[in-house]
Amino acid sequence: MKVEQVLHDFISSLRSFGVRISTSESMDAFRAAELVGYQDREILKTSLSAALAKTAGEEEKFNECFALFFSFNSFPDDETEHILRADSQHPVSPLTRMLISRNHAELMASLMEAVEEAKTSEIKFFTQKGLYTHRILSRMGIDGLDRDIMLFRQENTPGSIQQAVQLQEARDRLFENVRDFVEREHDLYARAPTEDIMERYLKNAKLGELEKSDYDRMYVIVRKMAKRLSDIYSRRMRSFRRGHLDVRKTLRKNMAYEGVPFDIEWKKKKIDRPDVIVICDVSRSMTTVVRFFLLLVYSLNKAIIKIRSFIFCSNIIEASSVFDDYPVQEAVAKLQTGTGLDIKLGSTDYGRAFLDFRKNWLNAVTRKTSVIILGDARNNYGEPQTAALSLIQKRSKRVIWLNPESRAFWGTGDSEMKKYLPYCNIARECNTLSQLERAIDSLL
Amino acid sequence: MKVLNDQVFSSVESIQQRFREVEYICSKHIATTLYVAYNLEKPVLVEGPAGVGKTDLAQRAAAVLHLPLIRLQCYEGLDESKAIYEWKYGKQLLYTQILKDKLNDIIKGTDSLAESIKALHKYDDIFFSYEFLEPRPLLMALQQSGGAVLLIDEVDKADEEFEAFLLEALSEFQVSIPEIGTIRAEHKPFVFLTSNNTKELSDALKRRCLHLFIPFPDAKMEREIIQIRVPEVSERLRRQLVAFIQQVRKLDIKKMPSISETIDWARVLLALNAEKLDVETVKETLNVFLKFEEDIGVVKEHLPEMTSNAVKEGGE
Repeated sequence: MKVEQVLHDFISSLRSFGVRISTSESMDAFRAAELVGYQDREILKTSLSAALAKTAGEEEKFNECFALFFSFNSFPDDETEHILRADSQHPVSPLTRMLISRNHAELMASLMEAVEEAKTSEIKFFTQKGLYTHRILSRMGIDGLDRDIMLFRQENTPGSIQQAVQLQEARDRLFENVRDFVEREHDLYARAPTEDIMERYLKNAKLGELEKSDYDRMYVIVRKMAKRLSDIYSRRMRSFRRGHLDVRKTLRKNMAYEGVPFDIEWKKKKIDRPDVIVICDVSRSMTTVVRFFLLLVYSLNKAIIKIRSFIFCSNIIEASSVFDDYPVQEAVAKLQTGTGLDIKLGSTDYGRAFLDFRKNWLNAVTRKTSVIILGDARNNYGEPQTAALSLIQKRSKRVIWLNPESRAFWGTGDSEMKKYLPYCNIARECNTLSQLERAIDSLL
Repeated sequence: MKVLNDQVFSSVESIQQRFREVEYICSKHIATTLYVAYNLEKPVLVEGPAGVGKTDLAQRAAAVLHLPLIRLQCYEGLDESKAIYEWKYGKQLLYTQILKDKLNDIIKGTDSLAESIKALHKYDDIFFSYEFLEPRPLLMALQQSGGAVLLIDEVDKADEEFEAFLLEALSEFQVSIPEIGTIRAEHKPFVFLTSNNTKELSDALKRRCLHLFIPFPDAKMEREIIQIRVPEVSERLRRQLVAFIQQVRKLDIKKMPSISETIDWARVLLALNAEKLDVETVKETLNVFLKFEEDIGVVKEHLPEMTSNAVKEGGE
């Protein structure tokens, strides 16, 4: 394969790792590679990375992909002795001949050809590995090889038996090589689709039913979501305030016209970053939802959202300081176990929580504040204290209630959701990551 | 600038060598990126934590290349009149006043308004010429006859609109002025952009740059830096203080000590005539490299242990 082709393949596998690369960037990469040459691996890597990976995250992916891609070393030199004889009574298949003569270059070429025909770069799922392995082997002529081995066996002379055994060994090695090759191809090309499917599944899976083993992947997704939201909204912080003249700027701009205001400058204003108060029910039934909600909210850039958080179960406490003191993931875990916090994890009492909130923290709620309540509204038949919630709503910009239960269950049993509903500006079912994302999206 | 300085940037090693001469330790990673950027004439976007020498890199590059450094500090509200060019309005007004008589002469022979304006039209380019142009950093960098090093500092602080102006300047190395036309760089400047990542830069801008991430240096490199910047510090103390700082960076603190703060600390220890690290000295000088009361508290907790570790690592 030509050098350019290698680089080209590298770039396309880098894309499948999720690094966005434009044409101009790949041209830079080609020019950089041409400049530094291929002698020094480290220099080549740095140059390509400078041209292709533009953020810390991309650089990580780049390193991973580079290691995978350039470790590719198709046929390791066989150390075992070959005593295959070329002098056979009957004509043998091309593949057999290649194995007998140990012609690596030819084998390699044949493999690449087969790979080309089998289109391994289109491999999508790990279940296809076997299929592609067989496809490549059959293109290389494994059938002919098998027939030859059988013929040698049938000849049944000591020489031919030995020949058959060694050919069998060579065949096994070839098989392993091809399988490894397909494995690597899969790692290179198929990551994106498989990850995509997992991601799509997890985004829409009910949070309460997730396995612990999926948490790591979930954290990655949450972080990605948070980054996406941060990116969108960090770039949309300013807008125009219509009709307000910016006198200073206008005067300066129109000095050229002797102060006659031809060119008018309008005042711009910063959009206030949302001021959010989060009130979370941390009883057992809510554990996972609260975990991922807080994770998502607190992963958002501090510049675009301002949060105070409160948690309650039997009583309510402010938890903002926990997030100031610990990294997000740790803080969330801390809240859940309640270690070091003055919270009683008895039966959930929404009424008391609202009353206490009104008593102690009502001042924190202003006209600009969005209050988010995360809870299932299951109040254990206690007094719902809707008046307190009503007061909170009147003072705030809006009250958003996120309930992990589906609408059909609202108001059944000890759920007071129906009673709280009139005092919520928005009430949503919120039980999957995508729903969480949408809720926060609407907040910003 | 290419012809003049091709020797300096002929190989990765020579870059490292020349930067060392101006007291800047360039890792192979940095040197390679500079090499590629210089030879492909691409801007370099430098990112990394505060105080790892992002701005310094550009300054030293200018020194190595013997080129003027032109610096553009970005901030919110920076616009083209402060970054690219502005007309000297005052001068234009003054000249029209002074030249009133001359102008009268020109339009003297004309009868109608149309004719006067026609006569004036012959001269109107005079007031929108280079003499009345106030070049700001971007334009200035393009105009330098021998080339220049252009440092666009903290580009993440600038507005989106400004990023758009940068695009033209960085990809074509040209600036369009409606009254005059397009000004193209004779010698393309070597451009550095630094960012602290307070805001995501636009993809378009990133695409036009090579990316360089400078992390905190490892112990070996930091020792080299101290050696070259504060050569008076003894070998033993150098090893110890670097080992200590490296441990501090592993702690969970608000603001990591940067390289410049390590250098400051080395100078302070030198001034105090410290021969080696001990708990007392460290405790008294913590505030040189830690800027938050909480951070000092965190480090104080582990102080004896960290000091003994550093002393052990640095060799008795």
